[in-house]
Amino acid sequence: MKILVADDSRVMRQIVIRTLRQAGYDDHDIVEAEDGADALAKVSSEKPDLVLSDWNMPNMTGIECLVAMRASGSAVPFGFVTSEGSPEMREKAANAGALFLIAKPFTADTFNEHLDGVIA
Amino acid sequence: MTELQDTGLRRRADDAAPSITDLIDEETVQSIAQEAWSALVGEDEFLVPLPGDLPEDAVSSWVDVRGPWNGTVVITTGRSTAEQLSRELLKEHAPPVLDEEDIEDGLGELANVVGGNVKAVLPGPSALGLPVVGDAPVAGPDTCRVDLLWRGQSLTISVQGTAGALLDQ
Repeated sequence: MKILVADDSRVMRQIVIRTLRQAGYDDHDIVEAEDGADALAKVSSEKPDLVLSDWNMPNMTGIECLVAMRASGSAVPFGFVTSEGSPEMREKAANAGALFLIAKPFTADTFNEHLDGVIA
Repeated sequence: MTELQDTGLRRRADDAAPSITDLIDEETVQSIAQEAWSALVGEDEFLVPLPGDLPEDAVSSWVDVRGPWNGTVVITTGRSTAEQLSRELLKEHAPPVLDEEDIEDGLGELANVVGGNVKAVLPGPSALGLPVVGDAPVAGPDTCRVDLLWRGQSLTISVQGTAGALLDQ
């Protein structure tokens, strides 16, 4: 399985990747994207099986990336990993087609809770 | 009917946003920060609520909150403490010598996570800006500040209202 991790912070991308390993998802290919535009391009070129994306990013936000993906016909499973988890944002994410929203800070248990049904 | 003179200052005062100290207290800010430290820096990393002296080379990272309450969530600490924090965030991916970009990225991401969770307890809907790193924005009187020690080194977190800072000028 290939997982695309999109976050404009390199530090946070490393934390997400480390938490995936700690949660037991350690035998998957990881591709990194540094903003929403990069993620959108890599959804086409890398064909990931899952996208884990930050919300607030320069160039293109996570929600803009998700909307563009769905508009282009991509049905790749998509989840947010973001520092904001307000009810409005969760509703917006779900309406755009996101499977879940993990609020930072998170633990390996949080990842298991949301990803066990998504990652085989 | 009396016609009132319209001044921007009076409008800001009349429409005064709620004071930050009515919306959040120091214990909540510290609790949010501790949760971020435990999850991201390490589960045995503690923030102790004691004041310390910030070194002269202190650096800040902050995120803006825009909504019913407007202001900034700022983390300030010494440069070497910021470097240690970034090293702990990167763990085994930390290079032997951290470059400036990694230090700013790490401190900025801590402000982003703390700021996002502070925003969550404030009235909404509101928007969070991208993290910025540099010299600390000037705090007005409408500020909730916590002085902490991490590994014995001084670190402050302040939630400072923009409206208060404007009126104070």
